[in-house]
Amino acid sequence: MDGIHDLGGKLGYGSVDVNEPEEPFHYDYEGRMWAMSRIAKAPDINIDWWRHVRELIQEDDYLNRPYFDSWAQTTIATMIDSKVFTTDELASGVSATPPLADVLEVDYEGVLQQNAEIAFDFSRPVDTEPTFSVSQTVVTNKEGHSGHTRLPEYARGKTGVIHSYHNAHCFPDDYAKGKPSAQHLYTVAFTATELWGADANPNDRVTLELWEDYLAPK
Amino acid sequence: MASFDQKKITEIHQHLHSHLPSDSALRVKALETILVEKGMVKSESIDRWVEVYADDIGPKRGAHVVARAWTDPAFKERLLADAASAVDEMGYKGPASGHLKAVENTDDIHNVVVCTLCSCYPFAILGMAPNWYKTAAYRARVVREPRAVLEEFGVTLGEDVGVHVWDSTAELRYIVIPQQPAGTDGMSAEELAALVTRNSMIGTDRDLKVGA
Repeated sequence: MDGIHDLGGKLGYGSVDVNEPEEPFHYDYEGRMWAMSRIAKAPDINIDWWRHVRELIQEDDYLNRPYFDSWAQTTIATMIDSKVFTTDELASGVSATPPLADVLEVDYEGVLQQNAEIAFDFSRPVDTEPTFSVSQTVVTNKEGHSGHTRLPEYARGKTGVIHSYHNAHCFPDDYAKGKPSAQHLYTVAFTATELWGADANPNDRVTLELWEDYLAPK
Repeated sequence: MASFDQKKITEIHQHLHSHLPSDSALRVKALETILVEKGMVKSESIDRWVEVYADDIGPKRGAHVVARAWTDPAFKERLLADAASAVDEMGYKGPASGHLKAVENTDDIHNVVVCTLCSCYPFAILGMAPNWYKTAAYRARVVREPRAVLEEFGVTLGEDVGVHVWDSTAELRYIVIPQQPAGTDGMSAEELAALVTRNSMIGTDRDLKVGA
């Protein structure tokens, strides 16, 4: 989707705030939102749908509201969409129906344990052989599509080289539509001059993980 | 059941834009309140998660990984071959560590990590991402003009040092292994870990300081 989220290489942004304090949370709500996102989600969603819902936040909110605010809005939108709660229930803070669950309180050690358990494996078996091999030259799709995709605009229609292969992984473009599938995944290296033109430093490069559907032989 | 319908989500977002409280803390509080009502979270558990990420899970984990790589060549080999297993071996498995890669700085190469499409980050070993990592400015610029961004962080690179930008938009996550500072060969892994900055493991710091 050619949305506001696809920021790589876009011009007109200012300097980076390099003097930000190093503590993990600058406001209490950031930590609480982070924690809630570890504990609860709409029961039938996946990470790609969640990311797609986040990138559909309207552009002024996406660019100007704080990061964890956008997580809150994304989680709220997925939960309303999945009928976990209604907008009226959210506004009133009162559930109109009996509780959906009765989760147990987790202590410090329990959190450490649960945290270790969310090292998810996104690789999936497929019954095809990979099309491309390491060091092969490939060209990326020139066109995007209207749904969720992980081929950024700046890397479309560009020539790169297969740097490494990672077996097949969940294919986000399909998962975001609720249609699980898997494809071979590669790290593809692009020279900075290919991406940005002759003024770029010829020693520099950008790599991306790209699925087979994004690539063609060259 | 999730709709997986872009149009429906756009309408929900429009509605939320007008109806959610403007204040971020109030938005998050509203979500917490209804999730507690629905029996899906306990506020006490949220407190514990915040404590764990404030105290235990943060860049010091990554710093110990780096220091061990500097002092234990066999571990470094395992880390570069399969970082997910190597951090698991150290007890650091967690969110976004499932497909972890370690990339090493050298005299000729400087690595820097970004996610231009959202803000993916290796939480399990670096903790919470700094805000700047999630800003439009960093995400837009570091792929296109990495040397200018690095200058803002105080990192000046020679023209002959190649910048490798890892745009981690899939499920692979990256930790940069900075170079060990000169004159620190006799130091213990514990002492060395104290030299490793969070930014050096993202790639916005390069020459680590001794006795800073």
